[in-house]
Amino acid sequence: MKKILSVFLGILIMVGTFSSCSKPSSNQGSSDNKSLNKSQIEIIQATNPEKLPQVARDRKDTLIVGTTAPNGTFNPIYSGSLYDSWVCSLIFDGLISNDAEGNPIPNVAEKWDISEDGKTYTFYIKKGIKFHDGKELTAEDVAFTFTAICDPNYDGPRTDAVMYLEGYEEYNKDKENKVKEVKGIKVIDPYTIQFTLTEAQAPAIWNFGYGILPKHYYVFEKGNIKKLKDLFLKPMGSGAYTLKNYKPGAEVVFEKNPNYWKGEPKIKTIVMKVTNANTVVQELTSGNVDIDAVGKPEMVELIKQAGFFNIYSYPSNSYGYIGLNLRDERFKDKRVRQALMYGLDRKGFINAYYKGNGQVCNAPVSPVSWAYTDEINQYEYNPDLANKLLDEAGWVKKEDGFRYKDGKKFIIHWMTYTGSKYVESLIPIVKDNWGKLGIEVVPELMEFGTLVEKVYDKREFEMYNMAWSLSIDPDPSGIFSKAQDVPGGNNSVGWVNEESEKLMKQGLTEFNQEKRKEIYKQWNKLANEELPYLFLSYNKDNVAVSCRVKGVNPSPYIDWTYDIQNVEIVDVK
Amino acid sequence: MRQYITRRLLEMIPVLIGISILIFVIFQLAPGDAVSAIVDPKTSAETKAKLREQLHLNEPILVQYKYWVMDILKGQWGESFYYKQPVSRVINSFIWNSFYLSLASFLLSAILSIPIGVLSATKQYSKFDYIFTIFALIGISMPSFFFGLLLIKWFAVDLKLFPVSGMTNPGSTATGFALFKEVMHHMALPLIVLTLGSLAGLMRYTRSSMLEVIRQDYIRTARAKGLREKVVIYKHALRNALIPVVTIFGMSLPGLFSGAIITEQIFNWPGIGPIELQAVNTRDYPLLMGINMLLALLTLLGNLIADVTYALVDPRIRLK
Repeated sequence: MKKILSVFLGILIMVGTFSSCSKPSSNQGSSDNKSLNKSQIEIIQATNPEKLPQVARDRKDTLIVGTTAPNGTFNPIYSGSLYDSWVCSLIFDGLISNDAEGNPIPNVAEKWDISEDGKTYTFYIKKGIKFHDGKELTAEDVAFTFTAICDPNYDGPRTDAVMYLEGYEEYNKDKENKVKEVKGIKVIDPYTIQFTLTEAQAPAIWNFGYGILPKHYYVFEKGNIKKLKDLFLKPMGSGAYTLKNYKPGAEVVFEKNPNYWKGEPKIKTIVMKVTNANTVVQELTSGNVDIDAVGKPEMVELIKQAGFFNIYSYPSNSYGYIGLNLRDERFKDKRVRQALMYGLDRKGFINAYYKGNGQVCNAPVSPVSWAYTDEINQYEYNPDLANKLLDEAGWVKKEDGFRYKDGKKFIIHWMTYTGSKYVESLIPIVKDNWGKLGIEVVPELMEFGTLVEKVYDKREFEMYNMAWSLSIDPDPSGIFSKAQDVPGGNNSVGWVNEESEKLMKQGLTEFNQEKRKEIYKQWNKLANEELPYLFLSYNKDNVAVSCRVKGVNPSPYIDWTYDIQNVEIVDVK
Repeated sequence: MRQYITRRLLEMIPVLIGISILIFVIFQLAPGDAVSAIVDPKTSAETKAKLREQLHLNEPILVQYKYWVMDILKGQWGESFYYKQPVSRVINSFIWNSFYLSLASFLLSAILSIPIGVLSATKQYSKFDYIFTIFALIGISMPSFFFGLLLIKWFAVDLKLFPVSGMTNPGSTATGFALFKEVMHHMALPLIVLTLGSLAGLMRYTRSSMLEVIRQDYIRTARAKGLREKVVIYKHALRNALIPVVTIFGMSLPGLFSGAIITEQIFNWPGIGPIELQAVNTRDYPLLMGINMLLALLTLLGNLIADVTYALVDPRIRLK
């Protein structure tokens, strides 16, 4: 299943979506031309269900889902890729989950309280939830799971979920096994657990969604976390399915857990079968695979013609952008950034590349988020205004057609990555559009890993382009805060703005969603005006679901694994 | 002979150490590392620094090399940064799939190419020769990704003779002969792609080597003393013509394990090829080192095997 997330980046995912950086994929889009609209999920219904192939009809008790190969890190506190997270979400349950709008909802925890000061979270666990071996899930298991992430030898991707727990440092730094527990994790009684944070943060609720590990099964002595890794391929949780078989690079087979606490799953066997962009259409149309993501518009068209798939198209929670090094004198001038934005025909690019299936991005928030706002400058293509702004900024056009300031020609060296159709389509448009403004653009292509080091670790660049995949919470401080303006930090462009710092802080410490919405609206207006990035594009995800499958309704925050116990296979005429 | 093999095996040790240092340094010189590959708003610079410490990435190359050697001595070849599992286990779970596919293709192309090569040589400039020369050129110049997709279109989608991709049926629990049948069924298309690609090379080698041999004096002598043409070609000429071909066979030993990146990817064959590529992209040094050292070892062994078989097929060569 080809999601936009590139496989080689550390991608975190939890009950839906977490954030990460990725290359804009070269195979997005669908065949419909309607522009994106907030929370708009477009469903193309199957037109000829009777064309469902016999192989699919005969497969009565097995659901086959196409996927990119998971890594075999089947443990919710270690899973690195989206696909491993799918495996984990079938086998494990977290304290909380999320709904289609991206709000936290109860799961293993029936309810939770957040203290006045926003630092203490108390979760009340539902009684009678059983792990696969029949033992009950209690607060001890939750405490064990989160303490494991705090372990001194933990080397997985979840550290940021526990870093703000009280006593984390003491526990994590202690290698002599003197500190036995994390102060901020407290078992009140078997069905109540309390977490205390060092500072109040509204998005912190999402740290508690990771699947719960049964202590009696995974238990290890502090420091000896290797035990968890040894059990990667023998996972046990409380989820709807158990792992039956894993063939690396080929498939993962699950069998239902008949005693699942949310009700017995309706499908006996689920197979996650590895597919790829070359063969996904063939696999789907021949009936071998029931659910898979499809990229290119042409491919969506073929699936549509097959007639027996419902296709779900929705804006993905991510955006593509151009980053300018704001430490560079030329780009420090806001007018120059705005001129570059006005002087780039982003719409033209998006129409050409996404064939009407993308949308222009004007602020670093996804159109599916509750924090999204339309009330911002749209930066319509306007070369005249761009020229005016550049004139004002002191960049004078000379007879050779290029702009100069203090005797220096305006040349931008653009570092970008190889092997991407997105980049290949963007380069000529940028060169041409900005060339008309009198700016020479010199693209320099390199391998993605090299680009990442230059941009984030060394921060030696004038301009680059990449994409961010956003988290379910709209807090932008993980990317744009001053604290991230360090080597290796995410604020590689070096955007530091007092007003923004203030708003982000407010947004983090405000727990009322309506008020937070207002704060992020202001912040997005600011980002739209100040342009820490030149925002480019949003794209769409398309998921094909066979008409014989009922109960799978993918949307930006919901994968096919969501409420899997209710998914069923129905007879098709 | 035994002495010779022992000596060669012992010589491999310093060579392998040298190779390991070289590969290690080259990988370290590549920009970025396993941690810088993680770009995520949830991963702060602080966390990255911590991860670097955990993986010893912040230490000088020599110290890192020392850690790697220590991991080797412990067995298991260290732990993959990306898979968080012992390198030996990661390699083991993919390499055999590659091996089965490559071995099948290797055997098939050997069986086909040698007779074709011999016939092309004995009937030089005949129709047969031209047809197979053209065929060889097509095979060698056909991009495998294109040919693979074409085969999928024809044989899997239109004719429904073979599965589109994979190595077994989804969720299959077959064992024994049923499993073998299933795997062969899935292997057919990638096998054709790989064989066609390697057939040409071997065939041309056999042809030119055969051509050279049949011009030799002793072949003329054999003919002059009235031996039948079949005996001349298959008994006297072929054995000598195969000497250079044997070298190629020996050299292809590492190729049997290194996986075919493109073909494996197109057919979703769960082989080691795509894993190697991913290890480069994620800067997974332990895994990269593991795979490359294994291939280095196989290359050295392949050379040794080639030399030994040389002596076996050519009595003029005496190994000391």
